[in-house]
Amino acid sequence: MAIPDMTRPGPDAVEARLNYSDGTSRTVFTTDVEVPFPEGRLIVSRTDLAGVITHANDAFVEMSGWQRDELIGAPHHILRHPDMPAVAFKGLWDDVAAGKKWHGYVKNLRKDGSYYWVYATAVPNIRNGQIVGYTSVRRKPSRTRINELIPVYRQWLEQEKSPS
Amino acid sequence: MTLNFLIAPDFAPERFAGWHMLNTALQRRSGIHLHLMTPSGASEQAAVLAADQADVIYANPFDAADMVRARGFIPFARPAERFDEMVIATGAESGLGRVEDLRPGHRIAMTDNKDVKLIGLRLLEPADLTESLLEWVAVDSYQAAARMAIKGEVQAAFFLADAFASLSRMTRSQLQVLVESRIRDISHVVLAHPRIAGELPRIKAALLGIGATAGDAEILDALGLPAGFESMEQEDAEFMIDLMDTLLD
Repeated sequence: MAIPDMTRPGPDAVEARLNYSDGTSRTVFTTDVEVPFPEGRLIVSRTDLAGVITHANDAFVEMSGWQRDELIGAPHHILRHPDMPAVAFKGLWDDVAAGKKWHGYVKNLRKDGSYYWVYATAVPNIRNGQIVGYTSVRRKPSRTRINELIPVYRQWLEQEKSPS
Repeated sequence: MTLNFLIAPDFAPERFAGWHMLNTALQRRSGIHLHLMTPSGASEQAAVLAADQADVIYANPFDAADMVRARGFIPFARPAERFDEMVIATGAESGLGRVEDLRPGHRIAMTDNKDVKLIGLRLLEPADLTESLLEWVAVDSYQAAARMAIKGEVQAAFFLADAFASLSRMTRSQLQVLVESRIRDISHVVLAHPRIAGELPRIKAALLGIGATAGDAEILDALGLPAGFESMEQEDAEFMIDLMDTLLD
């Protein structure tokens, strides 16, 4: 499912074109407004095997800026922020499809172009020996780790953009 | 035939009478004789489980994960509108205002409660604190944890949120909450051993019916579960277990 292009939220917003693994693409606008992670909460979602959102808890809905009915049925990459290098997600789908747990620090995009950082964990939902979907839980991340990772992600992103 | 009904040992002492009242009501309504087992601690509970003596279990969620996935117990109910949350609190005079004020080497008082510890450790991550960076002080009760925090003998204490709420007003006024979880997806679970699948429908109907009859409110008040119990399907439990799996590391 293709997600509609964003409309520019303000004059300072930065435009980017995201190309997703399912072949679709989308224009997004980002701002430098960070929304703090809600204290004491977990952001929880589930997807089917194709990465389509099937469940979102209240914290997920609130932090995404989307309405619940806009999220259910949408691809999980609706949260993808253009500052996230693809390599940061390397291993995510391979790990969970192989039945393993995946962890990572992720900068997520909100509907309005602002962002929030999370420490994300994804696990496969194994029922009767078969993987039937995935659960992702995000918790409040260490600011120290984020500050360490920001230049690393920037460098990875530049490497991905540069012609090799 | 008598079935053993095991209650996880993490309930507050004042709820003891409530579990007996519930057990009596369940026996009367299901027609099944139930023997209530209230182990005094985690090790006593583990011994009962190892001996395979429990037929129906009111289990804490982390024990439930193993019982459902590894031992085939059948989840069938959970307390309605009652989630397992935890509180990290410090003494009101400690000068600490949020989790990020805690430092390596600080002392944390904690009772023997795995789910409280696990959720608490996750809530400490924003402060760059891991289990090995802190000094853990084992205590026998939440009251003892509160006393140590108030006296400044520890920098913080972990509480089951219900236990924190049941502290006296005076005690709570001398504590400051650094963070309280609001996960709302993790709860205790009522499980049945697969060998009693034949009796399960009667027990489940009796348990879910508590609250519908005059006088039931007294039982539920005594249990501290005013909304009673609601049905839980296998997939509900599997979802909760997947969620908890993400919190293990």
